[in-house]
Amino acid sequence: MRFIDIVQRAGRSLRQAKARTLLTSLAIGVGAFTIVLSLALGAGGRQYASDIIAANTDEREIYVQAKQEMNTDPSAPREYTDSPSLDYGGGVSLKLLNQDNIEELTDIKGVEAVAPFYNLTIKYVTAEKAKKYTVGVETYNDMIALEYVAGGADDVKPGSLVIPDSLRKALGFKTAKSAIGEPITIVIDQIDRATFTNKEVRFEYTIAAVNKQSSMAIADGTGFIRVHRQDAEELHEAINEGSPNESAYMGAVVTVADKSEAEAVKDRINKAGDYDAQTAEDAMSFLFQFINVLQGILIGFGALAVLTSVFGIINTQYISVLERTSQIGLMKALGMRRRDVGRLFKLEAAWIGFLGGALGAGLAVIAGTAGNPLISDALSLGESHLIIFELPSIVIVILGLTLVSVTAGILPARKASKLDPIEALRTE
Amino acid sequence: MIEVKNVVKTYGKKENLFTALDNVSFEIPAGKSVAIVGKSGSGKSTLMHIMSGLDHPTSGQVVINDQNIFELSQRKIDDFRAREMSFIFQSFFVEGNETCFDNVSLPLEIAGVKPAERKRRVEAALQAVELGDKVKQKARNLSGGQKQRLAVARAIAASPKILFADEPTGNLDSATGEVIENLLFGYNRDQGVTLIVVTHDEDLASKCDIQISIKDGKIMSVKGDK
Repeated sequence: MRFIDIVQRAGRSLRQAKARTLLTSLAIGVGAFTIVLSLALGAGGRQYASDIIAANTDEREIYVQAKQEMNTDPSAPREYTDSPSLDYGGGVSLKLLNQDNIEELTDIKGVEAVAPFYNLTIKYVTAEKAKKYTVGVETYNDMIALEYVAGGADDVKPGSLVIPDSLRKALGFKTAKSAIGEPITIVIDQIDRATFTNKEVRFEYTIAAVNKQSSMAIADGTGFIRVHRQDAEELHEAINEGSPNESAYMGAVVTVADKSEAEAVKDRINKAGDYDAQTAEDAMSFLFQFINVLQGILIGFGALAVLTSVFGIINTQYISVLERTSQIGLMKALGMRRRDVGRLFKLEAAWIGFLGGALGAGLAVIAGTAGNPLISDALSLGESHLIIFELPSIVIVILGLTLVSVTAGILPARKASKLDPIEALRTE
Repeated sequence: MIEVKNVVKTYGKKENLFTALDNVSFEIPAGKSVAIVGKSGSGKSTLMHIMSGLDHPTSGQVVINDQNIFELSQRKIDDFRAREMSFIFQSFFVEGNETCFDNVSLPLEIAGVKPAERKRRVEAALQAVELGDKVKQKARNLSGGQKQRLAVARAIAASPKILFADEPTGNLDSATGEVIENLLFGYNRDQGVTLIVVTHDEDLASKCDIQISIKDGKIMSVKGDK
């Protein structure tokens, strides 16, 4: 018997038991729906995460801290080391990097630049005829994409800075455009060594660009003022002059010359001394891990649904064999081979699996496509979508479920192929 | 030419031993019509099953065209049946949910006939039993007589050399039964097909060239054989 004829006969038998076929495939459809949707969620989540990483980090950057003391037994006294540290009291302290460390890092092969983390704790920021505002300040990095309302990355030079749109509003600039080129003042506290009192020091800048809150940003809130690296260094020195943190840094950002070398440079840094280096990918790996675990759980539920539907298929096919005893007997009497009888029932199971898989996947695509804008809205993800369907994975899921169904159909098919035609054709 | 040689069929063991066929031997020349007559339980159905290779004898041979079919593998027997034999049953065994076309197409599909050729032969077979206008009809919508005519169409579609009919008119009234008889004997006469009818109907049996009567698994008489 030709294979294509068996496939067609199997399809026809199923059409004759429409309700049963549909119900059995719905069970496997639930599994397909869950699996396809969780794969799409995983793909979307990973895409979103790498968008976030691209927006917030630079793949050429390695974050370096001093290696912290592992022995943290608070009852035992610790040996003195010459390196600077931040003491929080109670025996808890954080080792810092000093100027020698920075120089050592600069000399490591593959390193293009080393930028210490500057301590940029300012007192307040203000502008002409505006109130005073406290806001975070960080170093401007041209590798991190910002969404600009006015001005652009090319406008950031020493003496100019980027402010968030919320601060622009607060400082009384009517539009983002009108703020460009306007003066802005950052005021810091400096310790006066002679009197041991704080004195205010003013730094004047011009506004180079205004950025808005990006949907990709990890940190929420008012956002930061971003100053040029040179200005950051100057501010850091002014703020920490006379304090124990003068020329000591919480950490440093090492920029490697070649993106692909980041991992190798990280190893070199860790070997060079008491450093703890992390690539941007390491720092963000928690995001991927989180997404993968979540996706794994969802797929697990889907697999459970598939397992349940396997028993449904076995049951349906057994009943089908019993119902069609005389048909099977006739087919055998007419010379149909055992193998072909078995194939007929396995192919019926395959059809059920294929139908269920296609049905579930189709519904998942519809639900996902309809749900995408709603989800993006609710989580304010902007233009990015959390559910991304990939055709190859959908095809693999459907084929996989078809295969699972064939496996489920093996036992009933064997029963059919072993049926004694004489018994089956008894008229009584 | 079908030769049945010393066929014995027993069921069970020792004290439960039951002999369904007891050393049965006869010959059927090709193209003849043969009635195997006997009461129910006489072993006539078992004999038909063994002659068609559906069942295996405990001992003995069935030689068709100089080939002992039980020397073949099960697969070869199946292929042989698909090529050379066909069946008509008392209770029709037509697939009610399928169209007349698909019912008649089944033996051709099993024999591996290509779709175009299949279509031609199915339509010719349906024409021959005067169901040419019912090609697309579901078989369940047919009357009893029409269903058996459909079964005849299915049996002749694959152009078998041997046609087995197990009480072909048993479920039909005499008028429709006669239509079926005429179809079968006409086909036997015109196509030179060996027709083997299993029945307890003496009337039907008397229309055959040869009557083999069987009782308690033994051949009582073979009439009409020259």
